[in-house]
Amino acid sequence: MPTEVIMPKVDMDMASGKLAVWHVAEGETVKKGAALFDIETDKAAMEVEAPATGRLHHILAAPGETVDVGRPVAFIYAEGEAVGQSPAAAPVTAVEEKPAAVAVPPVVAAQVIGPDSADLRATPVARRLAREGGLELASITGTGPRGRIQRADVEAAVARAKPGPVVELARPVVEVPKPVAVVAPAAPITWEAQPGDLNVTTRKGSGVPLVLIHGFAADSYGWRPLEEALPKDQALIRIDLPSHGRSPLRRVDGFADLAKQLVQVFDRVAEGPVHLLGHSLGGGLALALADIRPRQVKTLSLIAPAGLGPEIDGAALNGIARAGSVDSLAPWLKRLTARPDGISHDFAKAAMLARLDPALREAQQELAAVLFPDGVQAFDLTAALSRIAMPTLMIWGRDDHILPWRQALAAPGEVALHLLRSVGHVPHIEDPETVAALIGRHIRG
Amino acid sequence: MNAQVQIDAEVRELSYAEAIREAMAIALESDPAVVLMGEDIGTYGGAFQVTGDLIDRFGPERVMDTPISELGGAGVAVGAALTGLKPIFEFQFSDFAALAMEQIVNQAAKLRYMLGGEAEVPVVFRMPSGSGTGAAAQHSQSFEAWFGHVPGLKVVQPSTPAEAKGLLLAALADPDPVIVFEHKLLYKMKGPVPAGHYITPIGKAAVVRPGQHVTIVASAIMVHRALEAALRLAKEGIEAEVIDLRTVRPLDRETIIASVKKTGKLLCVYEGVKTLGVGAEISALVAESEAFDYLDAPIQRLGGAEAPIPYNPDLERAAVPQSPDIERVARQLAKGEV
Repeated sequence: MPTEVIMPKVDMDMASGKLAVWHVAEGETVKKGAALFDIETDKAAMEVEAPATGRLHHILAAPGETVDVGRPVAFIYAEGEAVGQSPAAAPVTAVEEKPAAVAVPPVVAAQVIGPDSADLRATPVARRLAREGGLELASITGTGPRGRIQRADVEAAVARAKPGPVVELARPVVEVPKPVAVVAPAAPITWEAQPGDLNVTTRKGSGVPLVLIHGFAADSYGWRPLEEALPKDQALIRIDLPSHGRSPLRRVDGFADLAKQLVQVFDRVAEGPVHLLGHSLGGGLALALADIRPRQVKTLSLIAPAGLGPEIDGAALNGIARAGSVDSLAPWLKRLTARPDGISHDFAKAAMLARLDPALREAQQELAAVLFPDGVQAFDLTAALSRIAMPTLMIWGRDDHILPWRQALAAPGEVALHLLRSVGHVPHIEDPETVAALIGRHIRG
Repeated sequence: MNAQVQIDAEVRELSYAEAIREAMAIALESDPAVVLMGEDIGTYGGAFQVTGDLIDRFGPERVMDTPISELGGAGVAVGAALTGLKPIFEFQFSDFAALAMEQIVNQAAKLRYMLGGEAEVPVVFRMPSGSGTGAAAQHSQSFEAWFGHVPGLKVVQPSTPAEAKGLLLAALADPDPVIVFEHKLLYKMKGPVPAGHYITPIGKAAVVRPGQHVTIVASAIMVHRALEAALRLAKEGIEAEVIDLRTVRPLDRETIIASVKKTGKLLCVYEGVKTLGVGAEISALVAESEAFDYLDAPIQRLGGAEAPIPYNPDLERAAVPQSPDIERVARQLAKGEV
């Protein structure tokens, strides 16, 4: 079987890509990993590497043509392999300037838009997952009644696609010490729990310290922008969650267990009453902490806290937890902010550097499955929110794509709500000045 | 999650009928405006012996036998409610409410709206409902969807003794007309019932069994049939989430949508005729909601047959969903065979 060369998905918003130039001509040999062709997106030009070694045949897309993501653009035959008929054709969605020179024979084009694709059966969730995973439904075999594509079929296809061309083609941007960017379909790493306490770092200062608890798949590094915007003498205590940052990898069997692990470290670090701030999952944990240790918490600040409704973008969580390279991480990180350009490349690079350990990623995937099974927040903190009595502030971005801001409406009337416009899931990174000003006012009373 | 109110009270085993009687006794004791009306509810104790000895305890001025005219009786109840009383009017069979539609639908449900909010009709209609008693076509129907179609009415369907008491007390506390459908086959069912006054909120469904593979939304006796089916399915590794609907109008959208988003599969089970029934409304609200993008199979409904309830016991059973039917369809849904 020849190896399919497909149009890779290099950007979250990308539905199709324009082929700019071929570096290898039809019939020539190519080595796996060598530059094969260039694509142009709205944002950048990008080199795509050959997914296999062999001879290039059946070039389906000419320079200037736009091809849907996931569609084949050519095939690579292994040395000695017989070159057969073109096994597939790339659906051309647009051809610039010279419609007469369409490379695809009309018969093939007719097949692409023919009754086969119109008759395609897929459940709504299968369609959504395929859309989110950048997969063509037509490339998936349905195992349901009358060939209907169901959730399990898409999930299997996503699992197959993971180590396949899309990831392999990704251009390694970051110099990584281990070859984790090129993912091989190797046996899954079985991570082991590690001993030791959770990692706690402090910034010395005056007054009551502010304890910071970061979100899922983040770490204390993510508080940097906010720390700079807060008064320089504000004492800080940052906690890395289990299996995050520099904390040991730990098994967690549910939200309550995670909260319990956090209470242990909280009791150790909080000598007197403290101000408490948490983001997302860390917000949910801060809320739980405030509920468990009400006398140790002077004020509570929650940024887009988890646990106030069932909805959460499970695909983004899993995508971030799983991503093994900047190219697979960056598109998901872009969901965190109101606008896709809110996360800089340097930020994505730094975030990836912090998650190079495959065991850490495995542990976080497992944590996601425990806390957010089937993309649902499996824990409900609305009761805790109605119980707590200390001054509480909630900040939420109105363009949060991960946790819908309407979950903030679960808060009782005493909670101060700040719903920021044009801000997404990470207000403390997107608009640290506003967030610092709100929190500063809140903790000063 | 579960809307059941926390109660720090003594809990006894009572039957569904006893729980309803206890709710009425509490209401009669605590509020002089509460009166009971209905055919044969006094000395005879009610067609299903639900009012029982209440006439002996509260006297004929508060437990009133009405003449054999549903339209007349319901009219008196609506008028009494308009002028300050809180009547509980019992129909002998919910089927006979057809005779009183004018008073329920055109008067009770409309007056608050038509009088600019200046009038209230705090009446409760108790309606013994459902099939399974061999009472045939004119005494076995399920009219939840009929009344659920009328703005101005609230419609509840308790499935347990505790719910029967809590929903009836909630109905009495509600300033608008509430229809309580009591399932005749449940009257003798026993279950834990807290003592004293408590309310099971109207408009809140309850997840009575959590699961992740398929959502079954059921009401009244169908809740028990769904739970039986879920128990058997669990032995095969299929975990069905069973939702006790409790209220038909207003429907608890949030609970249903959250569950379907979790499981991706929905089975609605209801005793009323399938076409244009309660399950049709639930299917539509899910299809219209954000849960649509989570559906992994066509929504399924199990409802009553498109026929009058037959007298023959085998046919009567076959005319409404039974637990093996629920088990079969839920299994097909969970396995992706639908």
